[in-house]
Amino acid sequence: MEEKLQRKGQACTVGFFHKPRNYSRRALLLSIMRFDDIKSQKLFILLLDLKPEGINELKTALRLSPGTSQHDMDLPRNVLSDDEIHKVMQSLGGLSLNENVKVKEFLNRADSILQMAMSRLEEELVHILVQHKQYFEPEYVSFHSCQEDAVYDESFVSLEDETVEETSQRVSSGNVSGEYIVDLVHPRVIPDLKAIADVMFASNYDQEFCEVFIGVRKAALDEYFVILAMEKFSIEDVLKLKWSTLSSEIKKWNWAMKIIIQVYLASEKQLCYKILGEFGSVSSFCFVEIAKASLLCLLNFGEAITMGSIQLEKLFRLLDMYEVLNDLLVDIDDLLFEEVGSYVRIEFHELLRKLGHYARATFFELRSAIVSDTSLKPLPRGGIHPLTRYVMNYIKTLTIYDHTINMLLKDHDMDCSNPVAELENEQEISSVTSCALAFQLQLVTSALECNLVNKSKLYKEDALRHIFLLNNIHYMVQKVKNSDLRHFFGDEWIRKHNGKFQQHATSYQRATWSSVLSFLRVDSPGSCSILKTSPKERCKEFSIAFEEVYKNQTQWCISDPQLQEDLRIANLKVIHAYRTFLGITRISDKHIKYKVDDLEKLLLDFFEGSQRSLRSSHRR
Amino acid sequence: MRAPEYQGSFLGRISIRRNQVMSMEGNHDQELEDLELFQRHIADRFADLLSPQLQTLSEESPSSTAADPLLSISWLRKLLDVFLCCEAEFKAMLIMGRDPSQITKPPLDRLIPEMLDRAVKALDICNAVTNGIETVRHCQKLAEIAVTALDQKPFGDGQVKRAKKALSSLMMAMVGEDKEGSNYSRSWSFGRRSGGAAANHKDRGHLHLRSHTWSISKNWSAAKQIQAMTANLQAPRGGEASGLPSPVYIMSTVIAFVMWTMVAAIPCQERNGLGMHFPVPKQLVWAQSMIALHEKIGEEWKKKEKKGSVGLLDEMQRLERSAQSLIEFADSFQFPAEEERVEEVASQVAEVAETCQKMADGLVPLQLQLREVFHRIVRSRTEILDVLDSTGKVSAPII
Repeated sequence: MEEKLQRKGQACTVGFFHKPRNYSRRALLLSIMRFDDIKSQKLFILLLDLKPEGINELKTALRLSPGTSQHDMDLPRNVLSDDEIHKVMQSLGGLSLNENVKVKEFLNRADSILQMAMSRLEEELVHILVQHKQYFEPEYVSFHSCQEDAVYDESFVSLEDETVEETSQRVSSGNVSGEYIVDLVHPRVIPDLKAIADVMFASNYDQEFCEVFIGVRKAALDEYFVILAMEKFSIEDVLKLKWSTLSSEIKKWNWAMKIIIQVYLASEKQLCYKILGEFGSVSSFCFVEIAKASLLCLLNFGEAITMGSIQLEKLFRLLDMYEVLNDLLVDIDDLLFEEVGSYVRIEFHELLRKLGHYARATFFELRSAIVSDTSLKPLPRGGIHPLTRYVMNYIKTLTIYDHTINMLLKDHDMDCSNPVAELENEQEISSVTSCALAFQLQLVTSALECNLVNKSKLYKEDALRHIFLLNNIHYMVQKVKNSDLRHFFGDEWIRKHNGKFQQHATSYQRATWSSVLSFLRVDSPGSCSILKTSPKERCKEFSIAFEEVYKNQTQWCISDPQLQEDLRIANLKVIHAYRTFLGITRISDKHIKYKVDDLEKLLLDFFEGSQRSLRSSHRR
Repeated sequence: MRAPEYQGSFLGRISIRRNQVMSMEGNHDQELEDLELFQRHIADRFADLLSPQLQTLSEESPSSTAADPLLSISWLRKLLDVFLCCEAEFKAMLIMGRDPSQITKPPLDRLIPEMLDRAVKALDICNAVTNGIETVRHCQKLAEIAVTALDQKPFGDGQVKRAKKALSSLMMAMVGEDKEGSNYSRSWSFGRRSGGAAANHKDRGHLHLRSHTWSISKNWSAAKQIQAMTANLQAPRGGEASGLPSPVYIMSTVIAFVMWTMVAAIPCQERNGLGMHFPVPKQLVWAQSMIALHEKIGEEWKKKEKKGSVGLLDEMQRLERSAQSLIEFADSFQFPAEEERVEEVASQVAEVAETCQKMADGLVPLQLQLREVFHRIVRSRTEILDVLDSTGKVSAPII
């Protein structure tokens, strides 16, 4: 019986210390030196190894220990004084197993000392992990002063043309370079941590090790969330947040996801592996335990987002989220490929699917929003409608996400019949203009055109109706021509729409001048006179009619300078008719209210959108 | 024990629904029949939860040899199962084959948004409880350490100390819960062993590594959410009692009750004032078992609340009791141990080991099941919102 116990005791100590490879002298010494009473130290050292060479090795180690302080600078309390070492060394010599110690007692003492040693190691473990933890600080983006972006206002009103900043921001915030491993714990203490792990596992104290390790590392990850200024929200909070706030939280989430998954957790996993890699599944178990709560926290934010109502302005943030998560899925799969974390991994895949679904629904919402946007009053002055600006800028921004949207639309088409085919008529279509997004975008602009035509019917004057359509279609064409949208719409579309607005220009001319010019009609020689009034009279009536047009059309607005110029030049044909009229009829100057030059000047006041004095102001 | 029966009829009624998609309001008799059936199912399911002992006597389920004690892990899993069943049945009643305009009429235009609001609150509670289960798992691990230590014979000073250390941490984790608004917390107490051993290392003497973060949001309180879920819960009266308001009310009651129970059982962020007023009229037949359960659990809660308990989870209660007596044993331990103490302790250790095993087997599945409940609630909310959307006249703002 006693023999058996002794063997067990020995097995325990042997298992503990006879591991030459994994044996970290320093870790052991650290624990030994924590003993305050010399007797315990002696016994402990005795237990270490009863072989003389072992003792010698330890003697050397002990002697060296204070000197190897390059590692110990921050652990001064571990350093024994020379005097103390001397005492230990002395007493070592005086001990032997043959002393009158009962085996049972001896084993009990050994057990007790082992427990103390382990307890000390546990303390040491916490201490090292806490004191030497490090954080990866992404210096390039700070979200503490995250501005609100009010770019996509629901009201279709506030949208200006400067949406480009936004998009460039998106590109520049780019990827954290993949496979970026940092040291979450100072590398010089890794061997110590590993040694402690080896000793504790060998002594059957693996449970304690894991609990402490998981606990401290989990707390460190929680702290990292605080460092990243990631606020935690309940789902209820998220659903109640103002969009502008939510939008910046989404940006933060995107940013934090990359850092936490690609850098922090990848490094955490590495850390677990470095320290616990030898103990089979323990390493990945610990990793999952450390990471799980935080991953669920990130996940739940995403879940909360997908629960929100469909609003157009959300689309870009949703696409951002989708892209980020889509990129990160590989990393997530890598991090959690073992069974233990598989459900979190599946949850992320599911979240991606939901985000895709939500983004697609929001994208389709654009068309219905256009269709259902009705106005009761015509837009004054016939300028560019806010809806046109909104839609064109919106789709212009969408083109940056073309790859993602095409992917989402393709997934969608798996279920539905392929609508792209309908578009492929006789005209030649390049590969880009035939993609799903191109098709959808053309549906969007068609809907927009329809809507604009309906809106134009609100104008009482035909001429202004044409100016309105001219302005808006011209704006659309310009947006398409001068951006990446041209790849999606193609030359054919541009040509066709150039034609359309030119048609409206012609119709405008006719609607404006045909009645006015009728006063200037001159009988051609040989035809019967059908004109009852005299040229003088007609010239007067022409002037009145012109004044009326002038009064109206100086109010109207064409904000594009080139278009304005073109239309004014086209209007010059009135001058020609007038000059011819004056030339043929030879009306005396006193009956002529406007000279040709006057008219020419007055025509320049057209389409300024307000009085002459305000000719430089542009209503945008 | 009635499980096969009601599951059969439940599936049956779904298919009936499918076949009468176009049926409009006219079918009031059918509606009443549905409601009656729904109420009976609720009553049956909660009756099973109230008297789980019956199951052991039943020949129909010979596999379950041991009863699931109230608020044990396996009982909670049954509770969540019941929730999922009720929920599926409810949704079928509310949506399937129904003209959407029916659920936007008063008083449903108010009741449904209120119910969806409860659903959102329930989601946060699911997450808080999932987090709380992590605390329970931490306690499980500490208890396992004690088991490992005390499994070694003969008892020596070292292993007894080891067990005591783990058990003290366990007690601290239990007592320290949901103070400071922190629901996940781990604490280690080092150098707590008597004597001046740690005197030189004061700075690391009492090292409490407590996470000061929170799992939900900063001021989120499980108790307040539960209160908000029941605040506007009113039993439909008069004509409403036979119409759609009734199932909406029943389901709202079920979700409030289930969430309240989970919060009472599992440590959760801020549970002060959880003792819930459960505004269900006593005469409602379908609610009898639920009311009885509520009273039982409520009493337990009152008893434990003052002590700052970790929660009413049966397994945790067992651990707490065993831990206390094992700590006493450890305090008075002197080597070598007396024979009779050894036997006594060994049986206690075996009990703790059994409890730990139950926890090891049940806690992660419980978490997964909570996640399933989470997703189910999300999905139903979306489906109901879609129906409301399709009618295009949601009067109350929905968060």
